[in-house]
Amino acid sequence: MARREFKLPDVGEGLTEAEIVSWLVEVGDTVSEDQPVAEVETDKAVVEVPAPVDGTVAEIRAEEGEMVPVGEVIIVFETESGGGATAAEEGVEPGDAEGTTATEQAGEAGAEAEPGGGASADTDAGAEAEPETPEGRVFAAPSARRLARELGVDIASVEGSGPGGRISEADVRARAEDSREAAAPSVEGGSASSATRRVSGGEGNEGQQTGGASAGGGAGGPTPAGRDRTLAAPATRRIAEERGVDIDDVPTDLEREGQPFVEAEQVVEYAEAQQRAQAADAAAVEAGGETEAAGAGVSAAGEDERVPYRGVRRTIGQQMERSKYTAPHVTHHDEADVTDLVEARGELAAVAEERGIRLTYLPIIAKAVVAALKEFPYLNSQLDEDSEEIVLRGEYNLGIAVGTDAGLMVPVVEGADRKGTLQLASEMNELIEKARERTIARDEMQGGTFTITNFGAIGGEYATPIINYPETAILGLGAIKQKPRVVDGEVVPRHVLTLSLSIDHRVIDGAEAARFTNRLIEYLENPTLLLLE
Amino acid sequence: MVVGDIATGTDLLVVGAGPGGYVAAIRGAQLDLDVTLVEKDAYGGTCLNHGCIPSKALVTASSLVEDVREAEAMGIHADPAVDMKGMTSWKDEVVDQLTGGVEKLCKANGVNLVEGRAEFAGENKVRVAHGGEGQGSESVEFEHAIVSTGSRPITVPNFEFDGEYVLSSRDALALESVPERLVVVGAGYIGMELSTVFAKLGTDVTVVEMLDSALPGYEDDVARIVRERAEGIGVDFHFGEAASGWERSGDGITVRTEDEDGEVSEFGAEKALVAVGREPVTDTLNLEAAGIETDENGFVPTDDRARTNVEHVYAVGDVAGEPMLAHKAMKEGEVAAEHAAGEPAALDYQAVPAAVFTDPEIGTVGMTEREAEEAGYEPSVGQFPLQASGRALTVNERDGFVRVVADEPSGFLLGAQVVAPEASELVAELGLAIEMGATLEDVAATIHVHPTLSEAVMEAAANALGEAVHTLNR
Repeated sequence: MARREFKLPDVGEGLTEAEIVSWLVEVGDTVSEDQPVAEVETDKAVVEVPAPVDGTVAEIRAEEGEMVPVGEVIIVFETESGGGATAAEEGVEPGDAEGTTATEQAGEAGAEAEPGGGASADTDAGAEAEPETPEGRVFAAPSARRLARELGVDIASVEGSGPGGRISEADVRARAEDSREAAAPSVEGGSASSATRRVSGGEGNEGQQTGGASAGGGAGGPTPAGRDRTLAAPATRRIAEERGVDIDDVPTDLEREGQPFVEAEQVVEYAEAQQRAQAADAAAVEAGGETEAAGAGVSAAGEDERVPYRGVRRTIGQQMERSKYTAPHVTHHDEADVTDLVEARGELAAVAEERGIRLTYLPIIAKAVVAALKEFPYLNSQLDEDSEEIVLRGEYNLGIAVGTDAGLMVPVVEGADRKGTLQLASEMNELIEKARERTIARDEMQGGTFTITNFGAIGGEYATPIINYPETAILGLGAIKQKPRVVDGEVVPRHVLTLSLSIDHRVIDGAEAARFTNRLIEYLENPTLLLLE
Repeated sequence: MVVGDIATGTDLLVVGAGPGGYVAAIRGAQLDLDVTLVEKDAYGGTCLNHGCIPSKALVTASSLVEDVREAEAMGIHADPAVDMKGMTSWKDEVVDQLTGGVEKLCKANGVNLVEGRAEFAGENKVRVAHGGEGQGSESVEFEHAIVSTGSRPITVPNFEFDGEYVLSSRDALALESVPERLVVVGAGYIGMELSTVFAKLGTDVTVVEMLDSALPGYEDDVARIVRERAEGIGVDFHFGEAASGWERSGDGITVRTEDEDGEVSEFGAEKALVAVGREPVTDTLNLEAAGIETDENGFVPTDDRARTNVEHVYAVGDVAGEPMLAHKAMKEGEVAAEHAAGEPAALDYQAVPAAVFTDPEIGTVGMTEREAEEAGYEPSVGQFPLQASGRALTVNERDGFVRVVADEPSGFLLGAQVVAPEASELVAELGLAIEMGATLEDVAATIHVHPTLSEAVMEAAANALGEAVHTLNR
């Protein structure tokens, strides 16, 4: 038996610490290699950390909710691998490399590094061999060399960016990142074998079941599935919430990314079955007997719950704070009669569907936005305070605000002006999906020049969106609703889209915002104008 | 198992409490390992008890004698009397304080100290025989072991150490009177240091060296300064002669040497000091029982994690091979203990500095110009002579220099050679520069205190760049 310490790996982008969201194993559990043992949350995503070896869990050294620096031991395994393997070794057995036992004597009274051979491993990724210490001179500080060992990087393969090619810690990290990307799908790539991603249970979605709904089991009601986690679209989760159903209890055979996936219909079906069963229970038990499940998962009345402000939530918070405190916001509201657009989209959606693309309003509105932006370049700008210049961006990169389980994310469609509606549609669909599944890469959320937030998809007419700084404007879309409007002196039902445009008043004045909105409304009300674009 | 054996278990067993062993033990304990340290003789090993420390104490004391005697140019006239017993007991106090400190540190860190001689009794077990007959023994089972048994002086045929006429360095450091005449066999660093000590104390020293120069292994211009200074204080060198035998004569002895052509010379002396090198102590350990291999010279080969061929057994210090230096042993001890505790430690140092405490001192680190060339670099070399250093003149020294070797295109420091008072200290800065991957410009652009010897380091780096102010740039 050997003890094998496992350190929190750098799960992405040179981060220095991460939060242990939950442990998936307990002391004494038997684990197999690559089995997820913990979920950790970085500033961007929740990733699962796989076991590096087969063995049993001997010790768990970090608490759930604890922020742990990368490189700190979080769990210790007992492994069967004999041979007196030392603690903290990787699964890779040392000894195959050249000169394992050949100590090269430094001949002179001077000094040569002891060369070395076979290596055991301390790397974190799970399957890499412990890097050897190079034979020649290395121009890097001892701290950088140690970091290289920790990250499993052969320091000799690192290109130094310092004077004369000196290797810094940053160079080592960059190299580690490169090899991770080369070796396995990038951390963002989604299909990484060592760090699979999942949609987190998300704060606020747990413990939502009401006492009655979770009583379960009674008179022939469906058995709650009781999974640890479930993937679902936000709309589905909302329905589950409304119906008082724990989404983890909804039976399903569907899978996404290897995880159970639940659709809205299944939630409804389960909720109804539950209600029927409950009604039967209630009838049988009569009144009086509170079912014991009432308290399960629900905090006692009146007690505060403290939710850590970390990870994605904190990143969003910091970004919002910076924007709101930096850019004086003004929000301009108006509405567009999009009856024609609704009709046009209805026709186009059918065509799009034949081509396998789901066409929503968003890509069409995006087209209109880009057309308007071209005429009002200040809405597609950035304020460079250092050089005291307003940068009118040459690109039209549209950010699309997406609500995910973890919080707000803004994927960016690049070069929206150069893309057709269907291409925009398919790219947007893909990006939104990735954001929701948290497989989106950081660079897919960067470089935006203007952002659209479709809060109306959830509900609401007007809002005061916060600009996605350093952009200078953001357009909020309300829900498209039929409303009575006066056309040619008669009140008729019309489809109305409400618009909320927030601008950075340092760069854009209200009049400019209004003119831009007017032009946008013109396009939205007369979508055929977009043919000219 | 011997009847009556007590069996205990430990995470990390360390055999030998010299600089490699005690450092490993303390580091292991700091990393929460249960550590057992076995020592048969004295905490601190050769270095603290019979090597570095006592010899440096005598180097300092004897230099003081010499400096006072030679201070007439400064207007000081004195004829110091040396009470060798007094000097020895002062030296012993220093040693006691340090070895006591090591013991205390070990205890304070929770290291289990066991006195006795350890030998392996299996892959994961040693037997420790306690000192003296009938003192019993115990077995200790371990998960990891570190062999740090050090080295002992090599003997020359016909010159068995007897502690009276034929001395080892250890014996010489314990002398209670200053010998009148001493023959030193071997002009390596130990022979040179002790020759200097006794010459300064008034002994008539003759050095016999088989090779053709003092301090073989050091560059000629480095060794020459030290040899000439030694000659200046009365040391007589005979190169190319091998000590072949000795006999009693009168109150003392006569040492015979033979050169290549078979020509025999004789030197009368009170005692002979033999310092021709050191060999690893591996024969008492029963290494075979654990399957640990040694090479043809008795050293235990190790890898870059200080591991022997047996995965869970490490070897550190002299026993693991050249260079036999305490600070190398300490680093290896740290790495071995850290690795045993699961840390990602490795022996990836770029250079092991070395010092010779002669007069003046020698400090070296990294590559010489020639080694750099052989390693494929285009070396750029800068040198600063001590006679151009204000501080050197005010400490009444003018012989010596600081030399730096760097990679020409990148400016990275590759090595340095220092011959100067306190060269052992001056070399530290250069060691740091080499480990950090500093360039000539980095060192040359760092402000150094004036007036100090360390300015010579800065100036030597500047000289390599053609920018030295206080010497002509070549």
